[in-house]
Amino acid sequence: MKLTTKQKGQLRTAYLFIGFPLLLFSIFTFFPILFAFFISFYDWNLLIPDKPFIGLANYFELFEDKVFLIAIKNTVMYTIGVVPIQTLLSLILAFIMNQKLKGRAFFRLAFYIPAITSSVVTSIIFVWIYSKPGLLNYLLSLIGVEGTDWLFNTGTALFAIMALNIWTTSGYFMISFLAGLQSIPTSLYEAAKIDGANQWQQFWKITVPMVRPVTYFVVVLGLIGCFQVFDQIYVMSAGGPVNSTTTMSYFTYNNSFKYFRLGYGAASAVVLAFIIFGATWMQKKYFPSEAY
Amino acid sequence: MANVELKKVKKIYDKNVVAIKGADVSIKDKEFVVLVGPSGCGKSTLLRMIAGLEEISDGDLLIDEKKVNDISPKDRDIAMVFQNYALYPHMTVFENMAFGLKLRKYKKDEIKKRVENAAGILGLTEYLKRRPKEMSGGQRQRVAIGRALVRQPKVFLFDEPLSNLDAKLRVQMRIEIKRLHQQLQATMIYVTHDQIEAMTMGDKIVVLKDGIVQQVDSPMNLFNNPANKFVAGFIGSPSMNFLNGKIEKNNELEFTAGSVRFGIPDELNLHDKLTPYIGKEIIFGFRPEYMYDKGFEQQKQLSVDLNLIIDVTEPVGSESYNYFHFAGKEDQTFCFRSDSANAYRSGQNITVGMDVRRLRFFDSETENRIA
Amino acid sequence: MKEIKIQKILFYVVLLVMTAIYIGPFLFSLSISFNADQDVFQWPIKLLPDEWTLANYQKVWDDLPFAQWLFNSVIITLIQTLSNVFFAALAGFAFARLDFPGKNILFSILLASLMIPGIILLVPKFIILNEFNLINTYGGLILPGLVSVVNIFLMKQFFETIPKDLEEAALIDGCSYFRIFWQIFLPVSKPALAAVAIYTFQGSWNEFMWPVIVTTTREMFTLPVGMAFLKNEFSVQWPLLMAGTILISLPTIAIFLIFQRYFVQGVASAGLKE
Repeated sequence: MKLTTKQKGQLRTAYLFIGFPLLLFSIFTFFPILFAFFISFYDWNLLIPDKPFIGLANYFELFEDKVFLIAIKNTVMYTIGVVPIQTLLSLILAFIMNQKLKGRAFFRLAFYIPAITSSVVTSIIFVWIYSKPGLLNYLLSLIGVEGTDWLFNTGTALFAIMALNIWTTSGYFMISFLAGLQSIPTSLYEAAKIDGANQWQQFWKITVPMVRPVTYFVVVLGLIGCFQVFDQIYVMSAGGPVNSTTTMSYFTYNNSFKYFRLGYGAASAVVLAFIIFGATWMQKKYFPSEAY
Repeated sequence: MANVELKKVKKIYDKNVVAIKGADVSIKDKEFVVLVGPSGCGKSTLLRMIAGLEEISDGDLLIDEKKVNDISPKDRDIAMVFQNYALYPHMTVFENMAFGLKLRKYKKDEIKKRVENAAGILGLTEYLKRRPKEMSGGQRQRVAIGRALVRQPKVFLFDEPLSNLDAKLRVQMRIEIKRLHQQLQATMIYVTHDQIEAMTMGDKIVVLKDGIVQQVDSPMNLFNNPANKFVAGFIGSPSMNFLNGKIEKNNELEFTAGSVRFGIPDELNLHDKLTPYIGKEIIFGFRPEYMYDKGFEQQKQLSVDLNLIIDVTEPVGSESYNYFHFAGKEDQTFCFRSDSANAYRSGQNITVGMDVRRLRFFDSETENRIA
Repeated sequence: MKEIKIQKILFYVVLLVMTAIYIGPFLFSLSISFNADQDVFQWPIKLLPDEWTLANYQKVWDDLPFAQWLFNSVIITLIQTLSNVFFAALAGFAFARLDFPGKNILFSILLASLMIPGIILLVPKFIILNEFNLINTYGGLILPGLVSVVNIFLMKQFFETIPKDLEEAALIDGCSYFRIFWQIFLPVSKPALAAVAIYTFQGSWNEFMWPVIVTTTREMFTLPVGMAFLKNEFSVQWPLLMAGTILISLPTIAIFLIFQRYFVQGVASAGLKE
């Protein structure tokens, strides 16, 4: 095909513009994806120069590794617990923020602060809140309930971290929902009012269906985030007590960068990636994002 | 200043979608040419090819006898006014107008002189420091025109510049652009879908349909002597009426279509042109303007009578558009124009006269005008 | 009418309780950070210190390698933010406005890469950087975060809303494509550029997992890694730790306050849409 001068000009500019980003993506995204699979077939240890090919041995070992199986269970529980609650909560927050109310900017900031704060910071604060003589137990004692050492109790540690996660991300997704809510034409609500719908009915019959594309987006991001939860685990519990908070990404981290078993770590990351693909695929299939 | 010549210019997208099927148009120096047609007819594509914003797939484009097919827009010495103004929102009015001159390395004084001069002509002097969003639609369009003006280009191109303005402003700007043309004595090419705009502004009008040039002519010639049924129907408001029928020969030539039947007087010298159509399908065209109610007006010379039944009357001020049908042909509605003082009611039977000299006939297959 | 009033009061009560839940923890950590008493684990806990002091902030600065961590965080965040804004704008412009072979396929591949969970890239990235001896260096910290697909996507979306007329008017005025990008598109894209800058800033400033993996010595830590290190390695001096966390949080909150209209109004700019 012969290119005209105009097209040539565009071509040169275009390659100039996307060249550097593409180079970086190739090095840090495209190549690593393939490389990850490659590594997972090797007994690749950072400390040992010899890296024998071992086929699927890493994968077989994973599924006999009790800690890994616990990590899967914890991760799935974590996700199932967090995603629905944070999605609903952020929608409710957005609904409230979308009402005419005094001091809206202040409330919006209040709900958003946890989301823009470093996960390390919020984790540290909640370590204190959850400690035996901490804020949570103090508040419970006011209503006569005796608390526990939340992060050092195998029955409560994971749930405590889940609550923190919901607290941080709901404000973040509130902003997404708020944008969605603001794009709903007011005339729809006016029509509903004339049809006799009360506030509650308006929320369920108009708001919820109309923000469905946003909901889809929020759930996908929530799934991807929860399946890979790491920062909070690292700071608050280091996977303990007795692996009760070990998640898959924490497992990957430990094996790869603490024990330097990079092949084994890569294999666990590959498994996690497939679980995430499966979950998002199922969501796409059973809860599609179709807009009206 | 310059002339523009299009020779068999074609636009083909992706090897099979043909947007312009070979356009031949020649535009003389200082001429105001309007490209008009319904949406999708290719008029904007044609203009954009002249501007250099679209590649020319085939054929030649000459500006001042020089082939410019492969010359980039900035080197064609043209300026363009866009439908949505396309003003740079982050620049002031002055900067908007000066931008093209700056890029062409004009001296500061010269730029200032030209911009101020253009601003003066367009009544923008006091707005030079404003930004586009602080101005009304009409003012923005003036700035867009000013941006073209300062360049003193060989050719001005206008792409539906008035279609975003309200009706009143549109008429006002129409006159202003026309005056500007007289003042500048520049070649201007103007695209619009509005036939009234085309009629009032153009020295010459190019009517396009489906990528084919239908007719290139002066406004009055288009109105009176349309080349084909499409042009006849497109130019003029309300549109020309069309009635399918037959030519028969009795004493004289006659047109018949159901209850409608009239003779074509020999004085019109249509005999030679219509004889080949005797016994054949033909399309008869008559404009709403050339009919009169015999109950109110005297019989005119060379006129034929038709009986018709009024459906609806639309008074638009001094005149009314009356929609009617012929007896036995309820499915087809036509229009005739009357003084709004004539009151009609629905279902009323009236007799109208038609000026035979204004009757037009079209071939029912090619739709070209026969007479 | 009375019913509506009660409803309204109830609504505000709920709202205030929610607000307390969301900012309460910060207020308490703020309170602890001013506490002169180092032992805050007393029962019952005190919501406000008996004795107020700024000494904790002073100590954070003097006793910890806080300045070094701050410097690291600032350098990384600054470079990554500028780079993301610049390259996202360039690539976004190319994808939105230029015609080149393979454009659509390339863009689909980029979009698809968004679905790749970051976790799978950690080990390969680590090995690659290790090959180049970039572990525990600024290079290793900064390079992987210089461009992001999300930002390119954002800029592309924004550039697509700019009327084509504007580009064509500039072409006729005599602009090259680079000049169109630089003098027409960039100046009218401030809201989108600001959004990219703010999101990148926050992501970079708060990033934890990658720095924790790629740094091995204390002087290369970023602020979040440093704080996590303090929390885990020492039996914690809570007032000190809280003073540190407050300091880390200030920039992101300040940026949000200053630029919140860009968060809220999104990337639709007035004046362009007619």
